[in-house]
Amino acid sequence: MYSYIARRLVFGTLTVVGVSITVFVIMRILPGDPLVAIFGPEGFTKLTDKERAGYMAQLGLNDPLWLQYLSWVKSIAQGEFGHSFFRSESVADMILRRGPLTAEIALFSVVLSWLVGIPVAIVSALRPNSIADSVVRFLSILFLAVPGFWVGMLIVLALLFWFGYRAPLAGASLFSDPVANLQLVVGPAIVLGLGQAAYIARMGRSSLLEVIREDYVRTARAKGLNGRLVISLHALPNALLPVITLSGVLLGLVLAGSVPVERAFGTPGLGFAMFTAVSERDIFVMQNLVFLYAAVFVLLNILVDVTIAVLDPRIRLQ
Amino acid sequence: MTTTVAQPLSVAPSRLRAILRGIRRFIRRAPFSAFWGIVAAMIVAMAIAAPAIAPYPPLKSDFRAMQKPPDEKHWFGTDQIGRDTLSRVIYGSRASLTVALGAVLCGTTLGALWGLACGYFGGRFDMASQRLIEFLQSFPDLILAMAIAMALGGGMTTVIVAIAVTRIPFGGRVIRAVVLSLKEMQYVEAARGIGASHRRLMFRHILPQCVAPYLILATTHLGVAIVIEASLGFLGVGIPPPTPTWGNMLADSLNAGLVPPWWLVLFPGAAITLTVLAFNLLGDGVRDMLDPRLRGSV
Repeated sequence: MYSYIARRLVFGTLTVVGVSITVFVIMRILPGDPLVAIFGPEGFTKLTDKERAGYMAQLGLNDPLWLQYLSWVKSIAQGEFGHSFFRSESVADMILRRGPLTAEIALFSVVLSWLVGIPVAIVSALRPNSIADSVVRFLSILFLAVPGFWVGMLIVLALLFWFGYRAPLAGASLFSDPVANLQLVVGPAIVLGLGQAAYIARMGRSSLLEVIREDYVRTARAKGLNGRLVISLHALPNALLPVITLSGVLLGLVLAGSVPVERAFGTPGLGFAMFTAVSERDIFVMQNLVFLYAAVFVLLNILVDVTIAVLDPRIRLQ
Repeated sequence: MTTTVAQPLSVAPSRLRAILRGIRRFIRRAPFSAFWGIVAAMIVAMAIAAPAIAPYPPLKSDFRAMQKPPDEKHWFGTDQIGRDTLSRVIYGSRASLTVALGAVLCGTTLGALWGLACGYFGGRFDMASQRLIEFLQSFPDLILAMAIAMALGGGMTTVIVAIAVTRIPFGGRVIRAVVLSLKEMQYVEAARGIGASHRRLMFRHILPQCVAPYLILATTHLGVAIVIEASLGFLGVGIPPPTPTWGNMLADSLNAGLVPPWWLVLFPGAAITLTVLAFNLLGDGVRDMLDPRLRGSV
């Protein structure tokens, strides 16, 4: 067991290193001058050669690429993550201030997706091809197709239109101001949660249908066990394993989806910071945030793998 | 003599007939998916015939009708500088479909060929490729697309490349798995036994068997690509304005004042949803018909 965890951690570390190189290649080495990215094509042509050289030196862009990469890795290791080109705030401060909000949204949305997705999957799988099953299947296909940020915009619009309500604009922490904080978190969490619930309901249904056909479930039924107990104690635990794995994959959907969804709701979280960085063409903030998102995604998936290994001896003993 | 002349002539109609028969079988077996297939075909037709269908040019401002709610002259209303929303939604399908098709044709295909090579050759090449694919898969789709689109600067080609890169790992994984199982089949072994070259084995014997999973993957990816394109446009790293795209229109609507007019939000988003729904359901039908075993795996 411990060797399995150790192996996953080593692989995970290697992946994070690979991810950092990939981010660096995308942001710095792909064709496209960083100064053009920062100032825009028009702004860049207005700069004099001397100004260009000055900015390049100030940003450390004249160093050889491997040196730039190493100094970036060093700043990550020191927990600084570099500075924004346009703001005085360091990226680390920004992450500390805005990160909790996005983490809260992600957590709530995952909980919500399970609370909605699993019961729906059970209802659907117990009576396949019934009316309830068809409705559920159509709804889940619909939710897979609807872009979350658009639903967010519609919700904001509807609340404003009919109730004259708008969520507070300033950030608020769960501990200092829980009411304002929850108002900020609820909207994005519902939108992202329902999006995931559709995947979970679909996967849960097919996995439960498969497990119900297995011999040990038939045995449990044959010895006269109550149908509800068979489902909840025998079938469900095994059927949920692929759903847990899926939930880990879906975290990518939440992390990525939180960017446009936070933009739609105007939530001052990390996703919104990424939107700001993109629209201000702040490649340094973007580089660090992209790395952070990918690293968090990798770590969470290791966590999911280890959870599965703890729950499922077949994988642990492989 | 006569047979050799007649053969090439008879090939074309019989192949056409086979395709028609296939379509008829599809409609009979999956009428629901066939209906959504027709919707998808209509959306494609709308994109091609946009200049003929759209009531107004998409970029023309009418300063006497700015930010007007829907009426009989402008069915979907107008935006803050008097451009007709219906015409812009119709033209928006062009950008969406071009990007989605381009991204899938480049990304999914490249991934599939890569997967074919990995599965066929195996060994060190496969190991290195799998690590690379793992790095690419460590990024949430949209975030990777955002970073690439931002680094390369805006434009249609950029957006296609950015989305295509996010599609590569999926093509690679799925096709590699298919090839790994095909490689052990007896007919492939027999071909190798009589001395077929690597190229012949890969392209004549293994590739044709990968067409079904590839088609399934491609139709699913069309829907995903459309959503990513719209999100990029919404975040301002997509195809730059004034080109009408559904994502750009949604982003624009947020600049139309404190309360965005409902018609500027509702219609572009509904267009995205309808298009993605059509392609997803068509994809479901294609999968069920070509290979029911793949249900839920792609």
